[in-house]
Amino acid sequence: MERAVEIKNLVKCYEDEPVLRNLDLDIPPGTIFGLIGPNGAGKSTLIGVLTGLLSFEEGEINIHGMMLEPKNELEIKKLIASVLQPPLLFEQFSSLEFIEYVCEIYEVEKEGLIEKAYSLMDYFDIKDYAKIKVNKLSAGSRKKLAFVTSVLVKPKLLLLDEPFEAVDVISIERMKNVIRRLKNRGVTIIITSHILEVVENLCNDIAILHNGHIKAYLDSVSRKELQKDASLQEIFEKYVEVEQKDEIVDWL
Amino acid sequence: MFYRLLTLNWRIFISNLNRFQLLLTIGYILFLGIMLVNLVGTALVVVMMDSNPWMSVELPWLTPDIYLFVLLVFGNAFWLLHFSFTNMRLMNIEENRKLLGFGFPLKRLAKYLTIIGFCHPVNIIYNFTWLIFLLIQVDYAFQVPVAISAVALNYALIYSIKHRFIQVVEKRFIAVVFGFLILVFVLFQLISLFASNSSRIFAELIPQVETVNAFLSWLPGGMLIQTVTEYYGWMNAGIIFLFSMILVGLTVIDHFNKTKEGLLNPGLKKVEEESSTLWNFLRKVLGRNAGKYYFYVMKHPYNRLQVLTLTVIPIVYVPLLMNVEYEIAQTILIPTILAGIPVALLAMGMANMYGYENREFLLHLQFPVNLEKQLKERFLGVIILPLVVFYLITVFELLVIPEIGSPLEIFIANTFFFLMFMLLFVWSSYFQYQRATYSSFSYKHPIIPQKVTFAISFLIFTMGYFVFVPLSGLEWYRLTIMSTVIVIMGIYLWRHMDVLVNLFKNRVLMRLWNEL
Repeated sequence: MERAVEIKNLVKCYEDEPVLRNLDLDIPPGTIFGLIGPNGAGKSTLIGVLTGLLSFEEGEINIHGMMLEPKNELEIKKLIASVLQPPLLFEQFSSLEFIEYVCEIYEVEKEGLIEKAYSLMDYFDIKDYAKIKVNKLSAGSRKKLAFVTSVLVKPKLLLLDEPFEAVDVISIERMKNVIRRLKNRGVTIIITSHILEVVENLCNDIAILHNGHIKAYLDSVSRKELQKDASLQEIFEKYVEVEQKDEIVDWL
Repeated sequence: MFYRLLTLNWRIFISNLNRFQLLLTIGYILFLGIMLVNLVGTALVVVMMDSNPWMSVELPWLTPDIYLFVLLVFGNAFWLLHFSFTNMRLMNIEENRKLLGFGFPLKRLAKYLTIIGFCHPVNIIYNFTWLIFLLIQVDYAFQVPVAISAVALNYALIYSIKHRFIQVVEKRFIAVVFGFLILVFVLFQLISLFASNSSRIFAELIPQVETVNAFLSWLPGGMLIQTVTEYYGWMNAGIIFLFSMILVGLTVIDHFNKTKEGLLNPGLKKVEEESSTLWNFLRKVLGRNAGKYYFYVMKHPYNRLQVLTLTVIPIVYVPLLMNVEYEIAQTILIPTILAGIPVALLAMGMANMYGYENREFLLHLQFPVNLEKQLKERFLGVIILPLVVFYLITVFELLVIPEIGSPLEIFIANTFFFLMFMLLFVWSSYFQYQRATYSSFSYKHPIIPQKVTFAISFLIFTMGYFVFVPLSGLEWYRLTIMSTVIVIMGIYLWRHMDVLVNLFKNRVLMRLWNEL
């Protein structure tokens, strides 16, 4: 079966310091996939590599059957949309101009686009900011605008790096709703997050990334098995080998 | 606590300086010293000039009225200087407000920041000079407190007016820019008029000097001088002193409240809808990529200042030079200044290719858009816009000031001028690439570095001399050489547009990534 994402032996270094070390990962299509790991594990780097913003030293990446290399680059990028942390926005445009600009790059059909943009902005309570400059928006509104734009470009693979950070609880629920609807339409969604409860409730498959390796891949079957005896928090702590340090602050 | 606050702000200031800026700061301190000596020295000379017996021999026309006129002109001119250069650099509110989170009392912090804000060295120099200038003219003891309170009140008012003026400038940038443009133009025309008719104007002025003095006495500088030249007795002095100090107190309280408000409301953003006519226009004319790039260039306030400078210089100098009865000025300087405008626009565009919009440009890499196509469109945009300006200027020269040369000469010389600088900028952008951290207008925004600005100005005038100096019989040789070079450069650039893109990708792109 064609995989949404297939990564083999991926190595990514920052100035000779490896961040991703021979990473292997397979993500089936139409999945909500959660990537969790401690700070510095390489989650955002992996998202950066998949978006094409970062190059990589070794390995192979296939997205929907196409190898990520210069000759396929544009075709692959048409399939992908992302919300980065911090979100990528063009600061001098208004919210609506930004949406139009990105949709034009993705060659999204113009007919009905503005109406769809307004309805999504309305859903996330940022409709009033349609003609406000992006650099005047609050952190939460910026995240919501990036999310709305990524949905409007109709991707087959949606990459969300910490999508819920700085977003209010009502909007988080609405974002989850949109993510589930996209999944039902066959879109693959990769989410990185520090909030384990969100990942646990939303994602079908979860991988734990630590020191540039995938330490565990928990699909729906293995998750059920493992979570009979332990919570996701405990499983996470086990795989990232959390050191018990409470005695250090005993003086408190 | 006050000491710690000073240390914190000193560290914020120092940590933001690179080595070059540190050198500039040392130079600035030396400049301040020289400025203080010059200002105080000039004030002393102006005040003492009528008491020196040598003066009455050498300057018989220096009657008491004329002396008062000189004093008033100096006082008002100095007040204008004071007003213009009063430094409004506010403290770093964002950093200082963090102290509130560590228990620093709000009122005390606001009070200290207000005091530090008032004590900028340039402002202290001006106020100190006022005190010297006024106190050496004192005839009665009661004038001393009045003069001191008047200087304090003057400073407080200037500070307040400028504070509001800054807000006005931010809100109505275009109106202020055009206002400034007209003001400069009118001022230069007046100076030109005065310079050519000075003896007549001066002869008419002397009989009316008393009236002029009466007017000057009620301008701000004149009123300050009145505090030490008039007799008003202890009673009135007490009232003026009290009233001035109350006003000073109110102004300081106003600033204190504003600082307090600023500490509690950091970066209060004005959320207003903005029209995007410029973006829509540029997108239509230059395409999506070059349009976005130029939209960003034109949105940057420092670039707008540079465009303003490019407009003001020819508007002011060309009419002036047209009135000068010196042929060489017309045949070399005017065409050089005009040919320099598209060159400067080109320099601005090229410099920004490596400037503050880079982050957003590089982030396009995640979108399905061809990098080569994007770069090519941007380069074309950078070249096309100055080229349009170049043609407009050439047409202007041919129609309005044909005396500067024949149409063919102007056209060939301008094209040669433009292409030579274009090659220079392209070459230096790739092979001399470095991030500019300071510019003619700002330390923080990478636009055009000062040394490049100076070097280009020098090159423009040197090139202007070679290209525009009249050669009479040899003119055809020069035109033939320039035309040949133009054709070669044009064909090369047309056929090798990809070279620009590849050079950018291979030589500059990785460095941009590292600088993000």
